[in-house]
Amino acid sequence: MSTTTWHADPALLQAYVAGELDAVLSASLERHVERCPECRGAVRPLADGPLLDEAWAGVRERVESRPLPAAIRLAQRLGLREPSAVLLSAAASLRLAWLSSCLVALGFATVATLMSEDRLWPFLLVAPLIPVLGVAAAYGDADDPFEALAVTAPYGRTRLVLLRTVGVLVTTLPVAGLFGLFLPGPAWIAAAWFGPALAMVPVLMALASFIGPRMAGPLVTILWCGVVLGAVRELPPTWPIEATQQLVYVGLALVALAVLAARSVHTRKIGAAL
Amino acid sequence: MNVELTAVDKSYGGTQALRGVDLTLGTGITGLLGPNGAGKTTLLRVVATSIAADRGEVRLLGRDPHAGHAELTRVRRSLGYLPQELGYPSDMTTFGFLEYVAVLKEWNERRARRHEVRRVLDLVGLAEQSGKRIAKLSGGQRRRVGLAQALLGNPRLLVLDEPTTGLDPAQRATLRRTLSVVAHESTVLLSTHQTEDVAALCERVVVLADGEVRFDGTVVDLVATAVGQVWLADHEVPGAVMTWRTGTGRHRVVGGPHPPGAEPAEPTLEDAYLLMLGPSAASLPA
Repeated sequence: MSTTTWHADPALLQAYVAGELDAVLSASLERHVERCPECRGAVRPLADGPLLDEAWAGVRERVESRPLPAAIRLAQRLGLREPSAVLLSAAASLRLAWLSSCLVALGFATVATLMSEDRLWPFLLVAPLIPVLGVAAAYGDADDPFEALAVTAPYGRTRLVLLRTVGVLVTTLPVAGLFGLFLPGPAWIAAAWFGPALAMVPVLMALASFIGPRMAGPLVTILWCGVVLGAVRELPPTWPIEATQQLVYVGLALVALAVLAARSVHTRKIGAAL
Repeated sequence: MNVELTAVDKSYGGTQALRGVDLTLGTGITGLLGPNGAGKTTLLRVVATSIAADRGEVRLLGRDPHAGHAELTRVRRSLGYLPQELGYPSDMTTFGFLEYVAVLKEWNERRARRHEVRRVLDLVGLAEQSGKRIAKLSGGQRRRVGLAQALLGNPRLLVLDEPTTGLDPAQRATLRRTLSVVAHESTVLLSTHQTEDVAALCERVVVLADGEVRFDGTVVDLVATAVGQVWLADHEVPGAVMTWRTGTGRHRVVGGPHPPGAEPAEPTLEDAYLLMLGPSAASLPA
């Protein structure tokens, strides 16, 4: 219980509310008002309601806001819209754990490539699959109760998957590209693996529109492993990324994009499996 | 009318979840009662545009959600949905989760979005928990987070699958107060196992069993169907739809032939619901 008998006079309270008191006097008065119900009652009508609401909203803003992940803040500086940044910050495929595991896998693949003589297959096996698996993860689990909200929201799950896909490509490709610079052999190799990587993403998405990402991801992975490992013994190390094969990848990507466009009418319907 | 279902069928594999369901809803709160497996969640998912009906006509908020993506999106802009089970990313805070859902609901302007998130947090009494990770909230608090996301944007159609699960009596009372305010201008369709929630909250009740609508009317009308079929007897009575020993030591007898010497009792909504389900009510899980 408060035992104070002194009370601040109205002029002093008015000056306090107007911010006209110096810091020491203001702090002293605050201490008193905190403990004195009578002065709290006296100061309440003097306060500017809207100003207090605004100040309180500012406090809540500071408390409730959590910083977005560094990669997404960087993307915002490069032009990513704020609402998209909020959505991407929740994507499992853009979390630090996922990106770290990509870095480790790429690191091992690069080191294995550098240690083997005249062979590229460890890097070619892993690097194009990083964005592919990231995109497969970007779909989320269709049975995940959290995804149930995305399904019935006006934003739409298709748009959300596309946004996450772009996010995965933007975060993984440049990093993998840097690792590619360390590869032995001609300089074009560092860029050539982008061909199959970029082609496999629409292929994965087209397959996912029929059989779902859980099946499509492993299927594309197996196919790519077959291409790379099948070429190891008999063919030159650069065979999977040479010009003729790149044309095949472009053709596959075009077919996949056409299928995706045709399927988009279906995948936007109620209850479509995405 | 905000919800118009005509002869709606839905099946999963060989199981028929909904059979020829007709339902028309305007503003106000409608409670959906039924045993497990009656088709309540399926019906709510059809109304929430989460799944499509196999047959029949569905019109929501005056639009046909199957008429194309544009119409579907217009319906979803005015829809709030609380699924029966809602997963939460463990590392998200209450505020972060609601902000994420608000963006999915096209609240693109940051200031307005955050204001809206605070409004629904205040509405469900979770303002103090806004910065807390959802993983650290209690079950009842998590359910209220789920309700808060459904209330974002004051939806004209609110679909709630067992919103009272995990709430204590005080929280249920708060939920009832919140929904009664919302229902002035919106259609609220909720499923529950709690007949007392329906009695306290809903002007209308729909009883669903085996995928069919068994009753559709006011709570008072449903209770009236049990008049003259509920008694208090001194001994257990065979042949009743349901009978149990009450706290006073007497046996409440619902349905069946009039037990000799038993005195008539005022029926409750639960009595009427059990009668509506018939003998199958005796096998309901406790």
